[in-house]
Amino acid sequence: MTKTIKTKVLRYNPDSDNEPYFQDFDVEYEPGMTVLDALLFIQDKFDSSLAFRWECRGGQCGSCAVKVNTIARIACRTKVEPDEELVLEPLEKMPVIKDLVVDMAQTTFRLRRIRPYVARDKKPERPEIIHAEEIEKVREIRKCIECSACLSNCPIVHETWDYPGPMIIRQLARLELDPRDVEDRVAMAMNESIYSCTTCKMCEDICPKKIKIPALAVELLRAKAVEAGYPLAEGQQGFVDQINKTGRAVPEKNPPLLKAIETEEFFVDNPNGRVAFFTGCLIDYRMQNTGKALIDVLNRNNIDVVVPKEQWCCASPAFRTGDLNTAHAAARRVTEIFEEACKKYDCDTVVVACAGCGKTLREDHRPFIEEERGEPPLYKVYDMAEYMIHVIGKENIVPPKGEIKMKVTYHEPCHLGRGQHVFDEPIEVLKLIPGVEYIEDPYKNRCCGAGGGVRAGQRELSQKIATTRKEYIEATGADMVTTECPFCTIQLNDMMKESSTGMKVRYIPDLLAESYRKGDA
Amino acid sequence: MNYKTIMCDVLVVGAGGAGCRAAIEAASHNLDVIMLSKELLGKAHTAMAEGGYNVSLGNVDPDDNPETHFKDTIVGGNYLNNQKLAEILVRDASERVFDLEEYGAVFDRTPEGKIAQRPFGKQSWRRTAYASDRTGSEIMVTLTEAIRKTSVRVFDEVFATKILVEEGRVAGVTAIDLKYGDYLVFRAKSVVMATGGAGRIYEVTSNAQLDVGDGYGMAYEAGCELIDMEMIQFHPTGQCAPPSAKGRLVTEAVRGEGGILLNNKGERFMKNYYPEVMELAGRDQVARSIMTEVVEGRGSPDGGVYLSIAHLPKSIVEFRLESMIEQFEDAGVDIREEPMQVSPTCHHFMGGIKIDEESGTNIPGLYASGECTGGVHGGNRLGGNALADTQVYGALSGESAANFAKENTHTGINQDVIVKEFEKLEAMLERKEGISPADARDELTKLMWEKVQIFRKEEDMQYAVKELRRIEKDVVPNIKVDVRVKRFNPGWHQAMEFEHMVMTARMVAEAAVIRKGSRGAHYRVDADPNDKGYYNIVIRKGEDGKMELRKEDLVITKIIPP
Ligand SMILES: Cc1cc2nc3c(=O)[nH]c(=O)nc-3n(C[C@H](O)[C@H](O)[C@H](O)COP(=O)(O)OP(=O)(O)OC[C@H]3O[C@@H](n4cnc5c(N)ncnc54)[C@H](O)[C@@H]3O)c2cc1C
Ligand code: SF4
Ligand code: SF4
Ligand code: FES
Repeated sequence: MTKTIKTKVLRYNPDSDNEPYFQDFDVEYEPGMTVLDALLFIQDKFDSSLAFRWECRGGQCGSCAVKVNTIARIACRTKVEPDEELVLEPLEKMPVIKDLVVDMAQTTFRLRRIRPYVARDKKPERPEIIHAEEIEKVREIRKCIECSACLSNCPIVHETWDYPGPMIIRQLARLELDPRDVEDRVAMAMNESIYSCTTCKMCEDICPKKIKIPALAVELLRAKAVEAGYPLAEGQQGFVDQINKTGRAVPEKNPPLLKAIETEEFFVDNPNGRVAFFTGCLIDYRMQNTGKALIDVLNRNNIDVVVPKEQWCCASPAFRTGDLNTAHAAARRVTEIFEEACKKYDCDTVVVACAGCGKTLREDHRPFIEEERGEPPLYKVYDMAEYMIHVIGKENIVPPKGEIKMKVTYHEPCHLGRGQHVFDEPIEVLKLIPGVEYIEDPYKNRCCGAGGGVRAGQRELSQKIATTRKEYIEATGADMVTTECPFCTIQLNDMMKESSTGMKVRYIPDLLAESYRKGDA
Repeated sequence: MNYKTIMCDVLVVGAGGAGCRAAIEAASHNLDVIMLSKELLGKAHTAMAEGGYNVSLGNVDPDDNPETHFKDTIVGGNYLNNQKLAEILVRDASERVFDLEEYGAVFDRTPEGKIAQRPFGKQSWRRTAYASDRTGSEIMVTLTEAIRKTSVRVFDEVFATKILVEEGRVAGVTAIDLKYGDYLVFRAKSVVMATGGAGRIYEVTSNAQLDVGDGYGMAYEAGCELIDMEMIQFHPTGQCAPPSAKGRLVTEAVRGEGGILLNNKGERFMKNYYPEVMELAGRDQVARSIMTEVVEGRGSPDGGVYLSIAHLPKSIVEFRLESMIEQFEDAGVDIREEPMQVSPTCHHFMGGIKIDEESGTNIPGLYASGECTGGVHGGNRLGGNALADTQVYGALSGESAANFAKENTHTGINQDVIVKEFEKLEAMLERKEGISPADARDELTKLMWEKVQIFRKEEDMQYAVKELRRIEKDVVPNIKVDVRVKRFNPGWHQAMEFEHMVMTARMVAEAAVIRKGSRGAHYRVDADPNDKGYYNIVIRKGEDGKMELRKEDLVITKIIPP
């Protein structure tokens, strides 16, 4: 018997329908089937008037982007999952013409506004000499097929067209990087709200051409802006100054974790491993208990934990906002501190419990250090949940016994999931806790609006993004949302304070430690 | 019948490589230019080209020059090319590639910082300029950027249905706005057709959705002469499955890197056909060998043969065939481990609207460029010459159309003709009984695939001609759209395309019947050995409405056929 896929398609003809509605179709599944195949099947077998765009069927033209199970992707290169329902909707933020065909006028208008071509002030020589190195980066970023999927997924564009979206910011970077272009693209980027991006990496993740927009476009243009003398927003500059002065992005309030602990060494009797703990600013200065919980959890699993008393900020805020001097100095310093600690204590693993720090150590420090000295940092970096599941091993984890009877959902920090490819591990850890009923949030990987300097620089926008996120979390009906990033925690806490649901926000290591402690009693 | 009329100086129909280039050129003459396309700007078929653009810059092989490029083109075209046109191609290819760079194109470089050039089939030197394996996309992106700089008015998702001719010259086109279904008339002093090819009249093709042959059909109806319509290039290796990927190009590099072809018995069958060169025989030779295996029952489950590179070291495959890995990964096949299933796919139309050295047609004011024209490539096109063609002739047609527009005014219009055309389109929606476009299309593309294909024989083609005449008479007037909605209705779009597909198919079949010998891409199993085939076949619609075909002498400037 042929397998059929239940496919829901959002239909709409504004000439005759009051509002969009879902229509169900049974699509015969074939191995290797793409979403475009499914759409063509429906068009051929059931309704030739079903409207969607396509041309090349091979990811070359960029016509066919639609929302597939909530996330916009190009249909011709997105596989149909044989055991899942398929929900297809038009791209967001663009008015529907019919069914899955949307009006691109806004995008075209926004593109034209940036004068999206190589502007020259004189005719070039023929032949024009251009060296491969000069265009290396342009080539990367130029693969864009203007499918607009990234625009539809961008949490900023979702809130406001003040920001033109990843595709267009990418075009600005493409022109800035082109040695032939004479326009001031940095000024243009400032005018196009370059500091609105949270660097959530959603665009990069779904881009059919895997263009690293946050790094190659957003952060690059921001760095050029800083270099050109554009000031950072007050909140952002505050972080950077603080880092330069104290090695911490925030001022001290309660006694910091690193000052409160008496020793660097948290060792167990029969260790199965040893790690150095990179606390990051917020765990050290604001979430001391989370830091202690992490040490406790690792110790209970027979892991020695080294906590170097002198630590330094990873400088994520500087990397994200473009202050590369601060950023690079911090990267050198952090590398030095942890290489020394690893040497002294004979280990090669650094564990992080902050998504932002982990991403920065892995994606920013590592390539920078490697480029600068020809050799990357000598230690491996793990997220704490990742370390537990993959290094300790799920089967070896000492089971927490204390029951926590709650419906718990999970907010995936952008810089943990897309930033470090840690997707399911935190959820697996959660599920170890007796009593926890895990509730999946279909929007769990949606940005909360805290990152990229947006919370610090543009509080209002940041809150709008958080409100959208909050609504999705509330819709899960859970009692508690857990996460693994201090920034997300603070952001969500702020939002939930105003929530009528009384939803709690917890850090996963805290919850785990709580279960362990309860189990002791 | 309500319609809106939009005026301009120069109208360009098509926004692929040729259309965009024509529009840019025309606009540079300080004229009001409109460019139409069925798809959104930047999404045209040209974006799918991978390999590159032929131009004898001599950046890598300094001995290359336009003369050699010319010779390779004529030999490759089996001497059927219009040599005047081929001379222009090789002469202007370099200036046009520099234009692209001036607009912002990023081609790969030599160590000296010049445009790099790679080797391509049947060419004497490394001549093909490229941007990785996405040259067409690079060109399309560049032209899109360039168009956004000009004053060209872009009407994308607008479908031209008929060329209007008044007072013995071109008057404009009728069209429908695909988004909302409005009827439009574009009146222009001159018109450029740049509508691309028609791979989609075959069941299996590497072409984009849009390539159904509208331009051939419209030009024929308007009274244009068309040439070499029987010359269709089949690429030997197209993907077999899944359905939406059927016919997608599997690059020649797979065989170049050492890929082997196997039938369902695991036999390396090329040894039975071309034992000296095996898989590296010519495109048409490999295509015929594969088809023989399939027809004789030694094919793979999805109707092709196996192409395997699993015996090569994984590292080589991963390094050199990156995009193929990706393409087949999407189909659930790991080409490092398993064989691909491949079969020939309809790839390129060498023939088309007959043009002169100004890119002009036999209708005053009507110009044409790109794949919708014929004559440049003769009986077979060299890989890399089509992209060059779009730029060279795109620019030339734009310039000629601009000059014509400067010297002429708008013609009058004949409302009856316009209304009749729109009534015809409206009737497709109104009809209660009739044939659905999807069914009609399936029948047509199957017919062409089975009867006017890689191996041609008299009775097949006679059968196809008979069937096509029947389809034209009985099916075309009875096409019925399932859902009576004008707003973005793909069923209606397909219905409108169908007539053009049938016209195109008929021209291909009727011309193929007349050519009794094998020449170029036209291969007959029952070839008449006395027909050396050194002529072109020219088609036009006769006074009586019947299709007229005639043989014409080759246009020779330098190279006499052997
Ligand atoms: C897979 C593949 C790879 C290729 N690789 C190469 C290569 O490496 N090198 C090379 O030289 N060639 C290559 N070719 C061939 C080359 O890509 C084409 O010949 C060339 O791009 C055609 O360009 P064009 O501008 O004539 O038409 P197209 O790009 O096909 O554009 C046609 C335009 O006309 C418009 N149009 C058509 N009908 C209508 C209508 N009725 N109303 C309004 N608009 C209409 C379309 O919407 C479109 O905008 C390849 C072809 C394929 C299929
Ligand atoms: S990183 Fe996130 S916020 Fe920034 S452009 Fe991409 S999708 Fe938008
Ligand atoms: S950047 Fe990627 S996702 Fe965005 S439009 Fe371009 S190709 Fe599409
Ligand atoms: S159809 Fe061209 S990208 Fe999907």
